Amino acid sequence: MFAYFGTLRFGWRLGVEPVFLPEPTVRAICIAYFGALLTGFLSSAVVARWMAATYDASQSLGRCLALMAIVGAPLAVGSVVHLYPHAFLNVLVLVPVLIWSMFLLYRGLPIVLGTGPNRGMLMASALIAYLLVALVSLLGITVALWGSGIGPRIGA
Amino acid sequence: MTHYEDRVVTAFTYCSVLWALLGMAAGVYVAAELVWPTIDLGLPALSFGRLRTAHTTLVLFGFGVSALIATAFYSVQRTSHVRLFAPGLAWAVFYAWQGAIVLGAVSILSGWNAGKEYAELEWPFDLAITAAWVAFAVVFFGTIARRKIESIYISNWFYGALIIVVAMLHIVNSLALPVTLGKSYSLFAGAQDAVVQWWYGHNAVGFLLTGGFLGMLYYFLPKQAEQPIWSYRLSIVAFWAFVYTYIWAGPHHLHYHAVPEWLQSLGMVMSLILLAPSWATMINGIMTVSGAAKKLKADPALKFIVLALAFYGLATFEGPMLAIKSVNVFSHFTEWTIGHVHSGALGWNALITFGTYYFIVPRMAGAPLYSARLANIHFWLALAGTVLYVLSMWGAGLSQGVLWLSLDELGEVRFSFNDVMAAMQPYYLLRFLAGLAFLAGAVLMAWNLAMTFAGRRTVLVAPPAVAGAQARA
Amino acid sequence: MSWMSLHRRLERNAGLLIFGILLVSAVGGMVQLLPIVAGDSHPQPAEGLAPYSPLELEGRDIYIRESCSTCHTQQIRPLLAEVRRYGPYSRAEEFAYDRPFLWGSKRTGPDLHRVGGRYSDEWHRLHLLDPRSVVPASIMPAYPWFGRNAADGHGSIQARMRALARLGHPYTEQQIAEAPSALQGKTELDAVIAYLQSLGRSMDGKSEP
Repeated sequence: MFAYFGTLRFGWRLGVEPVFLPEPTVRAICIAYFGALLTGFLSSAVVARWMAATYDASQSLGRCLALMAIVGAPLAVGSVVHLYPHAFLNVLVLVPVLIWSMFLLYRGLPIVLGTGPNRGMLMASALIAYLLVALVSLLGITVALWGSGIGPRIGA
Repeated sequence: MTHYEDRVVTAFTYCSVLWALLGMAAGVYVAAELVWPTIDLGLPALSFGRLRTAHTTLVLFGFGVSALIATAFYSVQRTSHVRLFAPGLAWAVFYAWQGAIVLGAVSILSGWNAGKEYAELEWPFDLAITAAWVAFAVVFFGTIARRKIESIYISNWFYGALIIVVAMLHIVNSLALPVTLGKSYSLFAGAQDAVVQWWYGHNAVGFLLTGGFLGMLYYFLPKQAEQPIWSYRLSIVAFWAFVYTYIWAGPHHLHYHAVPEWLQSLGMVMSLILLAPSWATMINGIMTVSGAAKKLKADPALKFIVLALAFYGLATFEGPMLAIKSVNVFSHFTEWTIGHVHSGALGWNALITFGTYYFIVPRMAGAPLYSARLANIHFWLALAGTVLYVLSMWGAGLSQGVLWLSLDELGEVRFSFNDVMAAMQPYYLLRFLAGLAFLAGAVLMAWNLAMTFAGRRTVLVAPPAVAGAQARA
Repeated sequence: MSWMSLHRRLERNAGLLIFGILLVSAVGGMVQLLPIVAGDSHPQPAEGLAPYSPLELEGRDIYIRESCSTCHTQQIRPLLAEVRRYGPYSRAEEFAYDRPFLWGSKRTGPDLHRVGGRYSDEWHRLHLLDPRSVVPASIMPAYPWFGRNAADGHGSIQARMRALARLGHPYTEQQIAEAPSALQGKTELDAVIAYLQSLGRSMDGKSEP
């Protein structure tokens, strides 16, 4: 939502003149972005549930969703910066937010999923592997979309 | 009463940490030069081109290789239950290697440069490191030949692959005709040279930065977790698939370049296939350690190694993704590649090495780690530094990629190169801060490890007796 | 023999293991490198392409010494925006005399493959001695020592040309004999500029992208 309004109003500010995109393109990108975030959120909880048996953690999907909600909360709040799609500003805000999320994962997992501190640390690290992969997939899908025409006009 | 030869391990570890600090400091300096270009003070030795080359040489061949040799010698003895073969030769490798690094770095700053990435040292050094490498091979395989255990443990396969394949790569890629002491010309030219270079360059990453450190993983992770590797069968399949597949991936560095189309596509497909053995190993590691959690104490060493596995997963996923041509169109030549390199170099290589050092140094010193608290602070500095580095480079790289290709309504190039370059400044500043944080953590580690040793001598450890079933006939 | 029992043999025999690793790892290289490196696949030099003159060669070797490839590429990809920005895309034949190749892997600064003839010698002079004097936002290092150092200070130009001739570059004996006098009175700055001005001229006057 934030990205949608921000992009229409301000355009993408990548450090040079703003790049404005036609509304249908912005709509398509933002819907895809929302879909990706939702998929990431749900799949992370499912992956956590799948890992839970190995680490003697709670296997309740509800609890895993709750954990991912806690972890994702800083990102959700931080995404308000998308209202002004200045790339660097977004990086500046979202990196500390991301680190805070990772911290919440390490701290929160043992509590929410009822593991001991050691198993919790191990499971959190395993989940981080998945989350990092999900994040970089977002990048890959993004550029693939751009390459297929849903994005700025490019000459590739 | 015989004991393991661990003093050479200590020596390599010390030097490895020294090169880590110097090499990363050089990295931080060149990162700063991209923000404030005049801090080279008009001196050739501080000039970006030369200093960046010194940075890569010091971290890869100083920090990285020393760590690999240290841990190879440590683990091959213990998995073979024998003292190191030809300890005198092992010490010769030590002095030769460190000498080559010192003189090599000086040579680069003075202007000796063979002109090929991660192979910039000129031919006298190429010969010297080949000799040292052969000696390393003799000591390593000699120890294995003398082993008291029947089976060669898997970490040794990976270290072995490191030794053999890097030798093959180095010898072929360094083929050159010397002209003067400090100058030679590559045997290969133009497009040919490009293909040879990236066969070398990619597999230097594959077998030095990945394969060798997987050897480290396969020994130190089960050791710390006090568990055997989760799946023996998986490790065999993953190993051979890894050795076979990695070699083919080189051409993904040459997408849309003046090399044959079939080569580019082959490189891309094999890079995607490579994801399987890479991740098989990661899963093996994660499952191994997860089985042990109940008895584990909160251990900074383990935290580093386990997080390193996560970044290994990231880097080995991102690599194949970047090898896809439609992604590569945007990422090639941009900061995204740099981000990818450092997610692996910092997140995987450095972190697993740090964790391993926090494990072996107290053992070799015969004393507990000086400060677990400092190690924990290091952990968060390393994590924050890596995340900041990678994200700032992703932001910069994506921006560059799309802006360079952007056309206006008339179909003309929309943004001038200079404007895009200027827009990268804030990201370069963030990356400089990230490097500073990472370096600060490494300094804490150096202090911590030095205080742990604190003038003690390396503990003498006798090889334990071998149980009947495993003993060599 | 099953795969598992084959492997059991390998892991009990260091020699077999070494041999196995070498064999398996050599396959990829052979398939990918041999066709490229063996005679036939290597493209002939581009029409009219000459090996670097003594001054240009000196400039190229300085470019290598300073690791300019760290920030500058010499490889224009066959992409619309890239061709619009830099000129015709790079063909393999143009690099026949490049030892080593200098395609680079990073564009902190712009691609240089077709920079030959784009800027005047005087512009290059100012730019190399102090980039910010012509591009205020530039982050390129300055190379003031280029102006101070004589070209071929080590006196190795003939040895270098002979070495390249041995590797197949068509230098004549006369060219090699005259090389030192060609560099007489020149600075490293002259050499680097000469090299830069020589880049990418094979497509001069042609209309293909």
